[in-house]
Order: sequence, then C-alpha cells, then structure tokens
Amino acid sequence: MFVAALALCLLGYIVIAVPGKWFPSVTERASGVAQLTMPRGVATRSADELIVTRAAEDGNTVISLTTDFRALDYPVVQWIAAGLPVDARVALLWQTDVEPARVNKRTLNVESGQVQAADLHGDPHWIGRVVGLALAVQGMIDTPIRVRGVIAKPAGAVDTLRDRAREWMMPEPWTGASINTVLGGSDAQRLPLPLLLAVVIALCALIAWLLLCTRARNWRPGVASAVVSVALVAWFVLDARWTVNLLQQARATALQFAGKDANEKLLAGQDRDLFAFIEKARAQLPQQPARVFVVADADFFRGRAAYHLYPQNVWYEPYRNALPPADRLHAGDWLVVYQRRGVAYDAAKKSLRWDGDVTVPAELKLLDHGGALFVVR
Amino acid sequence: MIDAARLLAGWTLVWAFGIALVAVLDSAQRDPPAGSRMWTIGSGFFAGAFVVPVWMRALSLTGIRFSLLAIGLPVLIATVALGFIVLRRRAAAARHPLLAIDTSPTNTPAMSKRRRVVMYGLIAWLALRFITLLLDVWWTPLYPWDAWIQWATKARVWYSLGHIVPFGRSAEWFAANGSLWFDASPNYPATVPLWQVWSSVALGRWDDALMNLPWWLTFVALAVAIYGALRVHGFDALSATIAAWLTSSLPLANVHVALAGYADLPMAAYYTLAALATWRWSLERNLPNAVIALLFAVACLTIKTPGIVWALTLAPGVVLALMPQRGPRIVATAIAVVLLVLAVLAQTHPVVLGYRLHLDFAPSWQALVDSLFLLGNWHLLWYAVVVVAIVGWNVLRAPPLVSLSATVASGLLFLIIAFAFTNARNWVADQTTVNRAVLHIAPLALTWAIIVVQALLERYRRVPAPVELIAASQ
Repeated sequence: MFVAALALCLLGYIVIAVPGKWFPSVTERASGVAQLTMPRGVATRSADELIVTRAAEDGNTVISLTTDFRALDYPVVQWIAAGLPVDARVALLWQTDVEPARVNKRTLNVESGQVQAADLHGDPHWIGRVVGLALAVQGMIDTPIRVRGVIAKPAGAVDTLRDRAREWMMPEPWTGASINTVLGGSDAQRLPLPLLLAVVIALCALIAWLLLCTRARNWRPGVASAVVSVALVAWFVLDARWTVNLLQQARATALQFAGKDANEKLLAGQDRDLFAFIEKARAQLPQQPARVFVVADADFFRGRAAYHLYPQNVWYEPYRNALPPADRLHAGDWLVVYQRRGVAYDAAKKSLRWDGDVTVPAELKLLDHGGALFVVR
Repeated sequence: MIDAARLLAGWTLVWAFGIALVAVLDSAQRDPPAGSRMWTIGSGFFAGAFVVPVWMRALSLTGIRFSLLAIGLPVLIATVALGFIVLRRRAAAARHPLLAIDTSPTNTPAMSKRRRVVMYGLIAWLALRFITLLLDVWWTPLYPWDAWIQWATKARVWYSLGHIVPFGRSAEWFAANGSLWFDASPNYPATVPLWQVWSSVALGRWDDALMNLPWWLTFVALAVAIYGALRVHGFDALSATIAAWLTSSLPLANVHVALAGYADLPMAAYYTLAALATWRWSLERNLPNAVIALLFAVACLTIKTPGIVWALTLAPGVVLALMPQRGPRIVATAIAVVLLVLAVLAQTHPVVLGYRLHLDFAPSWQALVDSLFLLGNWHLLWYAVVVVAIVGWNVLRAPPLVSLSATVASGLLFLIIAFAFTNARNWVADQTTVNRAVLHIAPLALTWAIIVVQALLERYRRVPAPVELIAASQ
C-alpha cells in the first residue's frame, strides 16, 4: 500500500511540476565555482563554494558565468546559493543571442536562506541561445552568502524526480548552522521528503478507509492499524536517509580527527592558525590567571581566542567588534590582538594606538600568525 | 587508552550512583511492573548526573578542590551504601510472601518470531546510531558556537582552578578587578559545565572532545528510560522498542549529541523524564514516584534558564491529578490569567528572563511551518502530534492520559507564547534558536503521541479489526 501510494503521489507531483515535455532529449548542465566570475562584490573560494562576504560600493552583488545553450531545452535554472537573508532581493539575470543588448531579469524567491529555482517556461525573453547567466543580490551583505554554482535543467519527468532524489540524498555535513537546523538534504528542496511522506500516509489512510468502510461497520481499528504501519515505514525511510548522512559524517570526522590527541585535533580544527598562535601566547602569560583582553575583527576569532586562553581571566566583546575602554586597562593586563584592523604598535615609544586615537603604554611580547600579544605597562 | 577507561569509569560511577538512588526509591514499591528495571537504569543516569554536580557545588562551597578522590570517593561510598539498602530490601521482599515479586516468565506472553525479529532489528538499528554518534563525540573537538562562548568556558576555568569561581557581566567584571571571570552568558546554570569538569577530572586532563561523553550518555539513557517508562505503562517490548527508536531518531537531537556542548538536549531529557515521572506519580500516587518526579523537576531548573518555565508546565498535570473534578476549571482559569497577565505586561514592555515581552502578535508562520513540517529536523513528529491531537481528542482527555496531555499542552503553549509575543520570534524567522527551543519538548511530545496512539489502538481493538486490512497494511 505504501509503495502504491508513493507512486501515486509522485505521479501527481510530476503532473504539477513538469509543464513541458516529460521525456526531453537533453541532459542538465551544471556549472561549478570554477566557472563563476564576480563582476560586483567581494568573495573568497573555499573548496567547492564561493563565500560572498561583501557587496560592491553600490550595494549590489553579481555572480555571473558565460553559457551557451538553447533556452527551449532548459526551461529551469537553479542557483545553488544559501545564507541569504529572508528579505534579500535576489534576481536571475540572463542574456540571449536573440536580444544581445538586453539584460533580462527574473526575481527569485528566497526560502530558509536559499534561492529557489526559476521556472522560465513561457517567458517571452527565454528564447534563442542563452549566452550568459548571473545571480544578482541587492543590498548589503551582513552574513556570508555561499554559492556553489548554477544548474540549467531540461526539467523532464525523470530529471525532475532525479533532482528531487538528489536533493533528498545530498550529504549534509556539519556546519556552524547544523546545531540549529537540519535541512534534510540539499540547501534548496522543491519537494521536502517529510511533506511527501505525510501526503503518502494521508493517501494510505484514505485508501484504507475506502476499502474498509464498504466492508465493515467498524472500520476504525483497521484504518488505525494501517495508518500506524504506513507511518512507521515512512518514518523509517526518513530515518534511513538520515542514518546514511550520519555515517557519511562520521567518516568525514574520522578523516579529520581520528587518531589525533587533543592538541592535534585542535591543530586540525576550524581555527588551527588561531590555536597555534594562542598556544604560543599562553607560554608567555603568567601561570596565575591574569586579566587578558582579546580583540579581533571577527566575532568567531574573539570567542575562540578567549576559549583557548581560559583559565586566564579573559574579557572580550562577544557580539561587537570593539576595543576595551583604555581607561579600564591597568599595568600588568595583557592584550591579545588577532587579525584586528586599526590597532597600531609604536615599538620606539612602546605604545599601542587604536580607534579614536587612544594610546596605551604597552610592550610587545609576541608577534606571530596574524596575532600579537602585549602587556600593558 | 587508559585515560579513556578512566573517563568511562568516572561516568559509570555516576550512572551507577543514579541507578542506586532511583532503585532505593523504586524498591520501596510493591510489585514493580515490567520495565521498571529499565526505567531505573535510564532515569538513574539523570539522577546521578544531577546529584553529582550538586555535590561538586557543595565541595566548592566548602573550599575542597575538585579531584577524583574528593568527588568520586563519596559518590562510590554512597553508591555502595544505596546498593546495599536495595539488596536488603529485595532480600526482605523475597522472604516475605506478601511483598514477593513475581518475575516468572508466565507473566508475559511469548512474543511471536516475526515480532522478535523486528525488535532485534530495531535494537541493531539503534546500536548503529549510538555507535555512529559516539564516534563523532569521541573525535570532534568542541565545535558549536555557544558551546565555546558560554558553556565550556566555565568548565575550562573551574577544572583548571579546581573549584567553582563566579562569572559576571562586563560591568561587574571590570568592577571586580580580577575576582570574577567573564564569558558571553555568565548567568547560565552550572550543571552542564560541571559535567565537563567531572569528565576532565576523571580523564586527568582537559580534552574538549572526550569531555562531552555525557551528551552521548544522556541520549542513550533517555532511550532506555523511555523504553522503561512505556513498559511500566503496559506497552509490550516491541512497542516500547519502537518508541525508543522513534525518539532516538529525531535528527536535531542526534546533531546535539554529535556536536555536543549545548544544554538543549540535557534540557529535553530532564523535562521528558520529569513529565513521565510526574505522570507515573499521577497514576500510582506514591511517595517514591513523587520524589523522583520532584528530583527531575528541580533538575530542570539547573540545566538551562528556561528550565524554570518548563518545570512550571508540569503544574497543570499535577493539578488535574490532584483535583480531577475542579482541576480542569482551575487550569483553564490559570491559562486565562496567564494570557491576561501577558497582555498587561505587554503594554508595559518589561523584560522577563531576558525576553522582552510585548503584544506585537506577529509570529513568523512560514518559517515555523518550514522548521516543523518541511525541513529535516523532526522527521514526521509534528505531523503526528497534530493528527494525534485531533484523532485522539477523546482519549487524551481521559483520566489516564489527561495529566500528561496537560503537561504537553502547557509546554506547547509556552513555546507559542514565546514565539508569537516575544523577541524570540526573530529566532523563528532566521531558523536559529527556534529548533533548539522546540527540541526541549520534542522527545516528550513524541512519547505522548505514541502513548495516545497506543491508547487509541487499544480502544479500537476491543472490536477486532478486519483481517484483510491488516494484511493490506503490511
């Protein structure tokens, strides 16, 4: 019953989701980070992701690539981008050989921080050969946007189902966001698996009821048993997918950390350079906890540096990139500066100067790995 | 390898102490039902993991430095003493014909081969999950953000200094001139950091991966406790195993084990245990159950700040149990008063528990729907809760379940108020803290849904189901 209901639901989905040919003659075209260029905004490449950290001066960010495919063959364009704010104004831009002077635009929806696919069936400007695609984001970028690439899809029935399956089975490695949300597959999912399975269960309940209400006066126990059985199977399907993800993640964790001692793990971790610097700084600090002030541009580095420095009596601004009030610093206090712009040391005068023309008498004790350790005199 | 054995021995001691503690209370009861042993084992971990940090606080107050001897020896002595009491009571009960426990196999009907295969298959599946998560806990150094800016910060300082020192906010820290420590949330409760301290003491060194073993133990013990609780309430072994599997499969709970260091999973576990123990008390009405329920309710306060509110959500269930006639009216009045107070508070913009309350009713429904029903956080949990609440309306309000249902309803009401009326709604919109807050009630909500479904099935089964449909569903 479960399999039959699932097949029926998928068929219904195809009817809704595939307006064009169910069996087209071309396959999808994916472009990864290597093909992307960044005409506007600032980004860095990290493995298979483009991490966009800043918009251009005019507040726009544009990520583009050169393409060459028949618009008619690929009616769906999916940018793989995540980390967008809920109110982000995002658009797909494209150019065709039919109207080379015209830049076409389609506003894209953002759900749960992810760009949704653009379905260009019936768009009067999605014609000829598409020679360029771009993702445009309007407004300032507060948190980094992660872009993995773009996929042009023929969007036939098999492709559509394969896409959904790929979305469900996409490995979901641990990230900083994992502790808050489990996506259940890829960043963007057009048909969430829990929703599909819930509909399957509802359909099974309906079928069971139709089967039973004509045969027996008391149909409730039969329908209840059927629904519970089907729900357990559906739950197991979801759990199997999740267990595969856990196993993949355990393998990744093993590759990164297995066989290492506590220190080696930290040196293989997310902040290895910072940890290496702090280890050297700790050697300079007194055994008895002293007051240690930590400054860094990034919240992450301030917090991590403080964590590695404990049990020293650390102070830092957890949520603000700010320096300690100079008048609260005493002789004998320590200052850790890690990748912080606007802090200058005058070796001749043995003094530190920072934002607002503040000057603090201090002596440099360590300079290493983008960090410096000072003791206040 | 030796230090890993020390760590395991340290936590085995805590667990054994907790088992002895719960067993002393349980052994005072006549005729413990099937599953009570598993309940004792599962809940025992939580009893031990609550009481040992209390002991560590006491040591710190008296100026005794944390050490294996100072913490471990008294716990070991207490475990042996409690174990001795349990054994003596059992021996006495065995000698006394009226108190003898009938544990003969004729009490439980034999399980069919097919059901046994399913049950052992599920146990193997559970073992696979537990092992996978243990590997992540064992290998991964402290990873998630809050873990290293507000929880393990305290553990690191307290372990290094050998005693608890106070943490304060920025202004207080500057004024204290070195006698206060600082982190992102200096007012957070101490229990969870003290777990990490005990891990480190047992290990003999600071290791920010291995110190998180108690998160994995919490997860395993919760599954065992839920299995035991449901067996106590009449579930057969297969149904209780299915329940343990379902509650262990919640993906976000799994993440909180693998990426250990947050207090949300412990909060969820203690709240679930408190609610189940309160429910058991409401049905059996004896002192041992009341003590266990109270122990876990108090423990909730020491895990996270919202633990106070979670503990309060147990109150409607207690009221309904104590006053079956007038209880519903009292609970309804209390809810009305709460809503009225909320409205009044909203007009005056006060801050309660750090949450700014105001009557700006603008919940992020879409984000909430995404989080509960579309993303992978909960499998089918919230679909099940909604359907069970509708279909099982008559059953969940009936006397055996009404107390537990009231607790779950109060918990959900708390979440709805927080998400709809306070600045917590921002957490819903950006998918950050919303799921962590929901995690606090998720295992309990799922256990409740399973209990209601079982009650429904039992009610329906009084009239036999047609054979052809059962076959069709398999």
